[in-house]
Amino acid sequence: MNKVAIIGVGHTKFGRLKDKGLMDLLCDASLEAINNSNMNDKEFDSVYVGSMCPGEFNHITGVASALVDRISLIPAAADHIENGPASGGSAIKAGFQAIASGMNSLVLVVGGEKMTHISTPGFVTSVIATVTHHKAERPHGVSLPSFAGLLTRTYLQKYNAKLDWLSDIAIKNHKNGAFNPYAHFQRTIEDFMESAIQKGRGNWNNIHEYLNDDNSNPVIADPLRLFHVCPISDGAVALVLCNAEIAKEYCEDPILISGIGQATDTHIVYEREDITVLNALRRSSNQAYKMAKKTPEDMDVAELHDAFEILEAIESEDIGFFKKGEGARAAHEGLTEIGGKIPINPSGGLKARGHPLGATGVAQVAELVWQLRGEAGKRQVPDANTGITCNFGGFGNNIISILVERM
Amino acid sequence: MNSTEKKIIRIKCKKCGLFQDQDHRRCLKCKNDTFEKIEANGNCTLLTYTILNAPPSEFRDKQSYGIGVVEFENGIKTLGQIEIRENIKIGMKLKPVYEKICENLDGIEIYDYVFKIIE
Repeated sequence: MNKVAIIGVGHTKFGRLKDKGLMDLLCDASLEAINNSNMNDKEFDSVYVGSMCPGEFNHITGVASALVDRISLIPAAADHIENGPASGGSAIKAGFQAIASGMNSLVLVVGGEKMTHISTPGFVTSVIATVTHHKAERPHGVSLPSFAGLLTRTYLQKYNAKLDWLSDIAIKNHKNGAFNPYAHFQRTIEDFMESAIQKGRGNWNNIHEYLNDDNSNPVIADPLRLFHVCPISDGAVALVLCNAEIAKEYCEDPILISGIGQATDTHIVYEREDITVLNALRRSSNQAYKMAKKTPEDMDVAELHDAFEILEAIESEDIGFFKKGEGARAAHEGLTEIGGKIPINPSGGLKARGHPLGATGVAQVAELVWQLRGEAGKRQVPDANTGITCNFGGFGNNIISILVERM
Repeated sequence: MNSTEKKIIRIKCKKCGLFQDQDHRRCLKCKNDTFEKIEANGNCTLLTYTILNAPPSEFRDKQSYGIGVVEFENGIKTLGQIEIRENIKIGMKLKPVYEKICENLDGIEIYDYVFKIIE
């Protein structure tokens, strides 16, 4: 199997980007990545675009074919990859396989979504809910936040954990996101609170009082509140992948994809023996560790899929950093902050960086590339040489883990 | 989508005995493809729940509703809307009541089970 390296990264701002359409975002990220890789005059073999709902949100299908035309990569092979909120991770896996197999030597991977222009209340929630079981779950009015609510209630009771500890994850992710120039929210929660106090919206003695107030932090899917849930965002991220043998000819600091894994679990969430266990993550991360000949203890940094803050807690357990039931407490104790035992989501995670569905899996790897190259500025994890991601599809029924390291 | 009460049916694998949703063509656990139908009976226990305040668009005729996972006395699990009351707790006994759960975007009434607290 050929080794695969990342030699270029492109990342649009995430957020409510009024002036940019889906194709603008995909083009911007792609051209920046190609430029970053010094491959401007080269022919690419393949382009993989991860996007969850371009047909539903933007009335565009065939996004990969549309992209190669706009950025002059014809006649490159072009595929749109859809795997729910893990579409980005799946697109990277497709690019990895193309090079590892020897079929391709130069590949562009892009993830992107344009969602914030949709004004119908509940429409985005409804479209995303189409990933749930269409007979056993969806007809009852479920949404992904409702599953996160069910999971949070079970977790808090089973492991004697506190909702405030999940708030601590949001506080940490906003603190990190404040230093990420691409993040949807570049503000700490303290900053949100101060601004609310100044506007006369209330008075709170501390951050947890602010986060437990029904007015400042309304309940979305009880017990989860607004600040425990990621936003919907627009944005795109791209990576240039090539055969690692030739990576150093083009790039001073290529990053190796040394492990990759993917696994599935039951479509119906309640058919899992224990809903607090992400079997798909246990399997996918084990595959990635095994391929890279690494262990969880070798990781310097991780980007996990905190679409809901409960997910960061349980992912930090099932990816091997903490024992089952101890992830939320570990975050509360500061073990996952930059400078802690295992820094998680230095980018701000989905909570602060934002979650343009198909872009997220690619953004996670982009952040690790910057961390490993030492280009992460004020959110830099010291001495980061190895990192892993968890990109969570559906409600935990399809998970991809990507392990990267310095070459 | 009519108001005629349907039954809550699961299938039981004839080889390994696993209860599962009727949509499975092969057993989730052992890949066997022969099953017997089992009907949920009696009351059920609340395993976990949430109160959703931001419903998908087609359920927005209500601002809020409960969603829970319940287990019947014969081991069948299901998910459905639950009646929201003060002091609702995991482990409570509930009974299924077939009723209108929403009026969808086309104005059609949707019926299903709502799990209600036994007085």
